[in-house]
Amino acid sequence: MSIFDDGYRGGSTPSRNRPHSNLLTLRLAVIVLFALLTAKLFDMQIINGNAYAKRSSENHIISTNILPSRGLILARDGTPLVQNVGVYTATITPQFLPKASEARYQIYLKLEKILNVPALQISEMVAQAETDGQDFLELPIKKYLPKNEAIMLDEASTDMPGVSLSVTPGRQYPGGPAFSSILGYVGPQSPEEYAQLKQSGYRINEPIGKTGLESSYESDLRGSVGVDQVEQDAQGDLIQQIQSRDATPGDSIKLSIDPGLQNFISDLLQHSLGEATNAAAVVMNAKTGEIYSMVSIPEFDNNLFSAPEQNAAQLKAMANDPRNPFLNQAVTDSAPGSVFKLITASAGLQEGTITPNTTLSIPNAILYVKDENGNPFPLVDWEAHGTIDLYGAIAESSNIYFDMVSCGILGSSKGLGKDAESSAVTLGYYARAFGLGQPTGIDLDGEASGIVPSPDWKRQHYSGPPYTETDRAWYYGNTCNMGIGQGYDTATPLQIARMTAAVANGGKLLTPHLVTEVDSPDGKVVRTTKVESKQVPVSPANLAIVRRGMHDSVNTKRGAGILAAVPGLDIAGKTGTAEFGPQKKDGTYDQHAWFTGFYPYNDPQFVVTVYFDLGVGGSRAAPTAARIFEYLSKNVKP
Amino acid sequence: MSPRYGRRTLLGDWDRFDALIVIAALALVAFGLALIYSGSSRTYVGPTLSFNNPVAKQAIFAIVGFVAMLIFSRIDYHLLTHYAWFFYGMALLSLVAILVIGHTAFGSTRWFNVGPLQIQPSEFAKLATILALARFFSEHGGDAKELRSLVFSLAVVAPVALLVFIEPDLGTAIVFASIWLGVVIVAGVSRSHLLVMGALFIAVLPFIWTYGVADYQVQRISVLVNPEEDPLDAGYNVIQSQIAVGSGQWFGKGLTKGEQTQLRYLKVPTKDFIFSVLGEELGFTGAMALFALFILLLMRGIRAAQLAGDTAGQLVAVGVVVLILMQTVINIAVNVSLFPVTGIPLPFVSQGGSSLISLFAALGILQSIIMRHRAYRQT
Repeated sequence: MSIFDDGYRGGSTPSRNRPHSNLLTLRLAVIVLFALLTAKLFDMQIINGNAYAKRSSENHIISTNILPSRGLILARDGTPLVQNVGVYTATITPQFLPKASEARYQIYLKLEKILNVPALQISEMVAQAETDGQDFLELPIKKYLPKNEAIMLDEASTDMPGVSLSVTPGRQYPGGPAFSSILGYVGPQSPEEYAQLKQSGYRINEPIGKTGLESSYESDLRGSVGVDQVEQDAQGDLIQQIQSRDATPGDSIKLSIDPGLQNFISDLLQHSLGEATNAAAVVMNAKTGEIYSMVSIPEFDNNLFSAPEQNAAQLKAMANDPRNPFLNQAVTDSAPGSVFKLITASAGLQEGTITPNTTLSIPNAILYVKDENGNPFPLVDWEAHGTIDLYGAIAESSNIYFDMVSCGILGSSKGLGKDAESSAVTLGYYARAFGLGQPTGIDLDGEASGIVPSPDWKRQHYSGPPYTETDRAWYYGNTCNMGIGQGYDTATPLQIARMTAAVANGGKLLTPHLVTEVDSPDGKVVRTTKVESKQVPVSPANLAIVRRGMHDSVNTKRGAGILAAVPGLDIAGKTGTAEFGPQKKDGTYDQHAWFTGFYPYNDPQFVVTVYFDLGVGGSRAAPTAARIFEYLSKNVKP
Repeated sequence: MSPRYGRRTLLGDWDRFDALIVIAALALVAFGLALIYSGSSRTYVGPTLSFNNPVAKQAIFAIVGFVAMLIFSRIDYHLLTHYAWFFYGMALLSLVAILVIGHTAFGSTRWFNVGPLQIQPSEFAKLATILALARFFSEHGGDAKELRSLVFSLAVVAPVALLVFIEPDLGTAIVFASIWLGVVIVAGVSRSHLLVMGALFIAVLPFIWTYGVADYQVQRISVLVNPEEDPLDAGYNVIQSQIAVGSGQWFGKGLTKGEQTQLRYLKVPTKDFIFSVLGEELGFTGAMALFALFILLLMRGIRAAQLAGDTAGQLVAVGVVVLILMQTVINIAVNVSLFPVTGIPLPFVSQGGSSLISLFAALGILQSIIMRHRAYRQT
């Protein structure tokens, strides 16, 4: 009998039980289970499909960034002021280290020998990274390796899995400290900076300009990051090169800075300090606003930032230095003193309250006048000038004469306005028109605005406790002080240079700038800086009168600026000696020394402004300026 | 020999042969061949016609399985239930033997090496257990209403389930439990008995969890909850299969075009994770087509249970349906991260001879039940 027969008659016969009819449960189970799977699939593939598709491509496409080389910074004559160098870091990627702890320790010992970092310390750093779940990231073991260590590590790292030498772009500044405040420096991004820069496509290991031109021209200097994209399989084997885009080097910038002049002034100021601790000088083209030199004393060496960890002690000492070497004195404001009188003179002439022939007799150094309440008020000059006109007042820098111009002398002459307040407002208008109280707009970050006071400004400045209504009120004396650059007035050396240029060039308030040209890596001009200016609301004739006063200051025997004179050069200028701070025991005050001037007198090309935080304008700043004029005439062409 | 029953035609009983079941199964195999081709295209380099080519090998197994199905259709299933206890004993023995001498892969011992073939006894143990359950109930009142028969039936399934559980193979153990549950439900188990048993099971679950579940299983369950916790180790397969399936979206990336599959981010892409290949390369649409085929196959299987002439046939059919259903659901659930990673192949689709041949044999048994339902129908 065959088992393929139609009926089987073996031991197990068909049972006599009727089959059950309850199969609905089973049908339902099929439907429900597949519905569940379908729902989950719909969620994964349709609702979240895009996210998974993105992860899928991230899974197998590995992108490596190629950092661009930063644009160069060139001086006026083409001298490079920066050099691109590699910054070397020894790194460990813990997940690629051998698993055996003994093999790992061998590596740490080798590293100790090359880098002088204790093996134990490396071991701890790795263990920490592993407990933090960061074992797939490159862990820096030692940053800013000296070249010999970098070479040794590069050779040795081939037998040390997980160890590598990473190179990021860095900067050297061959010009040294004299250029540091202009150039600034580059450094790694802070976490806060990265959070912001990420949006504009920055990579975390990309250095950025921190201060100076490195910072303000960051977008030009940076260049664009290149990418190397490869597809790789689960074993890490290369499948194919997908695309690669080379990094584009940054654009280079060309400065108007004359390196010889910059070094000369840097030396000069340091040797002329006397009792001063801080100093600044600005040399500017009187017609274009180009800055030929901008020096801030004390200086710092921006090369220290190329290895901040190794130079930590020096950097810390500088950060704690009360003279604040990192602060650019050329764009930091202080009381301008008598250089402000150029503005007061222009305002008086333009408002018609004085003429060049308005005279005042100053027989004594102190003149008691009556203030707005009829109380006696002393106007103090630095000497008895006798009877002087405007030219003499500028040349000899008479305080009482310019008090008369600004706040007036009750009973004999009125000031710029009908009372102390309106006079201050009018004077403030001219001060602003000459660029004070606002940034000059130079292509450098961190510029101070300075203060042009006014009754409103004072009310706001002294608002709230502990100040009283008496502190907030504007007085006759405030206007008088304002007129001679004392009291609340402050200005930066750069603002004074800019103001002087406007006087010199017949009324054009120029926007100063350091960069004249941005060039692409292949040498094409990307853009040039245009000369920008605003017209000062003072007539050329009136400015000519002020210029003549300045000329007299340097070129007459009684002139306060006579020490700025250089035989054979036709120089005009104005000194300033600004009292500041609390009155000392002997009744005197600390004084800032200023000199601002231009040359040649007939066709002004250069403006020179010199500032010392301590000293007298005529004796400290003016002779320093003379040396600069001398150098300019011999070595620099506009 | 004279016919004992029923009508006879030229075709014999073949006119009742359910062609839809076969078409659905063969379509699934075709699906599988395409996916195995895609999943092995980067790893297999060699002649197309070779026993080493996983596609050719699978095709040969499919042919063997198809013949086995025809043979089993022709055999009266009562012959199988007749020897059910013998098969069951053999299955138990082989499962014990595998623990002693079996081949270990992926941390689990599941098969014998017989020459070039790997034989997984648990595939045959599933069928043997189904037959034993059907035999038991058909002889004991035909139902599971009595507590005594219910407990005895549990005693039939428990040793087999336990043996695969300690292999360890959690998924297959669950398949066994589901087969038992499916069979006793259709066999009319009393609801209160089932509830008491369910309560008892829940009561002992903590002990199973503590003493019975291997560490790797705990880990697999926890990575299911949070795969990123251990992205390179236990969570790897979960993450990669999620990415593969999810990135397929509506229509997939195209056969052999899925990066997850082709760049070997998916492990075992022709076996346990073949559904992820489908998800990635054929997308939601492809998955729905696959689901449609499975539902067709299962519904026709349930039809066989409906038609069955007697209890034995009906319960065998139920067992086969639950077997295919649960393996399919668990496998896909693993691929879409609804279930911890466990080595269950996708019926008819995954690469693997033992599974494919035993599944076709099971379909043969279903055919046998359909073809003979009139003869054994009690009126």
